[in-house]
Amino acid sequence: MSGEIELSSLVKRYGDVLAVDEVDLQMPGGEFFTLLGPSGCGKTTTLRLIAGFEKLDAGAILLDGVDVSGKPPHKRPVNTVFQSYALFPHMTVAENVGFGLRYKRCTKAEAARRVAEAMDLVQLGALAQRRPAQLSGGQQQRVALARALVLEPPVLLLDEPLGALDARLRVDLQVELKRIQETLGITFVYVTHDQDEALTMSDRVAVMRGGRVEQCGEPRALYEEPATAFVANFLGTSNLIPATVDDGGLSLGEFRLRCDVDGRSGEALAMIRPERVRLEPRAAEGENRVPGMVEAVVYMGFHQDVRVRLANGALIHCDVPNDGTALEPASGDPVSVHLPASCLRVLEP
Amino acid sequence: MTKLAPAPPMAPPTPPARRRLRRPSGLALVTWVYIAWSLVPVLLAIRFAFNEGRSRTSGQGFSLRWFWTDPTLSVRNDPTLWSALEHSLVLAGLAMLIATPLGTALAIGLQRWRGRGSGVTNILTLLPLVTPELVFAVGLFLLFTSLFGFIGLGTTAQVIGHVTFSISWVVLIVRGRLVMIGRDVEEAAADLGAPPWHVMRRVLLPLLAPAIAAATLSVFALSIDDFVVAQYMASGADTTTVPMRIYASARAAPTPALNALVTIMLALTLLALVLAWLAYKRLSRGQEAGLTTFAAGGTK
Repeated sequence: MSGEIELSSLVKRYGDVLAVDEVDLQMPGGEFFTLLGPSGCGKTTTLRLIAGFEKLDAGAILLDGVDVSGKPPHKRPVNTVFQSYALFPHMTVAENVGFGLRYKRCTKAEAARRVAEAMDLVQLGALAQRRPAQLSGGQQQRVALARALVLEPPVLLLDEPLGALDARLRVDLQVELKRIQETLGITFVYVTHDQDEALTMSDRVAVMRGGRVEQCGEPRALYEEPATAFVANFLGTSNLIPATVDDGGLSLGEFRLRCDVDGRSGEALAMIRPERVRLEPRAAEGENRVPGMVEAVVYMGFHQDVRVRLANGALIHCDVPNDGTALEPASGDPVSVHLPASCLRVLEP
Repeated sequence: MTKLAPAPPMAPPTPPARRRLRRPSGLALVTWVYIAWSLVPVLLAIRFAFNEGRSRTSGQGFSLRWFWTDPTLSVRNDPTLWSALEHSLVLAGLAMLIATPLGTALAIGLQRWRGRGSGVTNILTLLPLVTPELVFAVGLFLLFTSLFGFIGLGTTAQVIGHVTFSISWVVLIVRGRLVMIGRDVEEAAADLGAPPWHVMRRVLLPLLAPAIAAATLSVFALSIDDFVVAQYMASGADTTTVPMRIYASARAAPTPALNALVTIMLALTLLALVLAWLAYKRLSRGQEAGLTTFAAGGTK
């Protein structure tokens, strides 16, 4: 079993609402795949379709080449970690973890050994006889993970598993989830609305919006080469400046910018990450430089967010690292903004 | 001199003014007067059940004569009273046995049913809770004497009547807990490989147990207490329940045996309610906290 998933033309409707609209995705075995998007984008519904909690209206779900879309949840070789953990409150931790082993052909002794192993994997060995109510949120989360992993599924589905935890714990568990996934080498399908989680843990990410996959790729590709303004804004922050494409370059009012226009023409959005924008003294010369005036400087600790009003009226955010070397702009200073050609992207408006 | 002492970090002493506000003595007085007012008649009735003499209005010593020892007039030895007690208990037992499983199944079904007709059914299920009992009883009477004449009046009709109105209570109690449990645990169980029957047996029913126990004993209390439906569905002396017997003989020549009967009923009803409460507490121990953690986890 390799845990390879192929979703082809998945469609799920709730009444008149298309929750999942023609989703096509391939996940090779052993991949950490993330479905990322705002609430209501269809990511959880997609996950629930794979798990079998929702019936799909059209399409197919292939697991290692076998269509499982007609099977009920208990006959699918996938397991789920719920956002609410969904532990059984009337059972001890060990009983919770051992719940699914009854449906695997294994002896009592082997079941006990596997439960102990799973508990060790999530570092919960000492809490076997507790009840879920006596555990902290992070511990409950680990039990939920152990309960699914003990069955050694080829695919593990995780529905915002860290959503209910506080920020510190979340970072710890992110590292641990990644460690477990790499140790076991199984496919993780991970649903989250947290871009940091998506960027730091995933092998590949699919950004969803309105039931469709907006863009799918490696985190670096998504961040540095977003295909749409939505992806650019959802993953990190972006400057999106209205501009016109003509003669193989960009026009920002009277200013010309050189960049790869990717065969587009007409109205477009010029996109650049704030950390790629360079602030230079007013007189700086060269291509892709636009004069402007500092409107506000927001001190953020490790960097400063400098907001510059360009001469054509657009507002641009610029991250100035707080490394003691950069010039210290103040509100009202005239500056020159350098938008390097390699960092500029042209997107559909 | 004003000195600003830093407030103690934990448990600051409550200022006396606030303590007074929290316990308004006037309200407490009204509450106690009300409780006394509503309990006095009941306590009086119980008092005279233990009378030595025949009077039901003045204290005449203490004995168990009207419960047990009087050779002809006590609850134990007066066949009309004893059979009424027996019949009431049989009705209540049957109502419990039938209404609880049906109501539980109905609650689970209604909770899952999303679609055309589910809203109307939801309301219809709860309608018996607000229907005047007399209207309900007259309706059943007409049903069993004309349309369903083959059933006729008697014990069967009485049981059906009691089951019909107590099912609503079972649904109400069980659904309340179903909402609290949520669908996640069922989905989790199915996800871990449990077929539907196992989801029910290993997860849902254990989690519902406190509600089912509470519902069962509520049905008992409702059935024991019912007068109107039992009266309308009765067919003769052998289908007389305790409330009917009490009503019938209140105007004849009542003896304290009637009070004794009332006392027994009261004790049984209270026992049922206390048992229901204890069962709920006991069976749900450790679950409440777990379930509320789910709720908190889900909303964050």
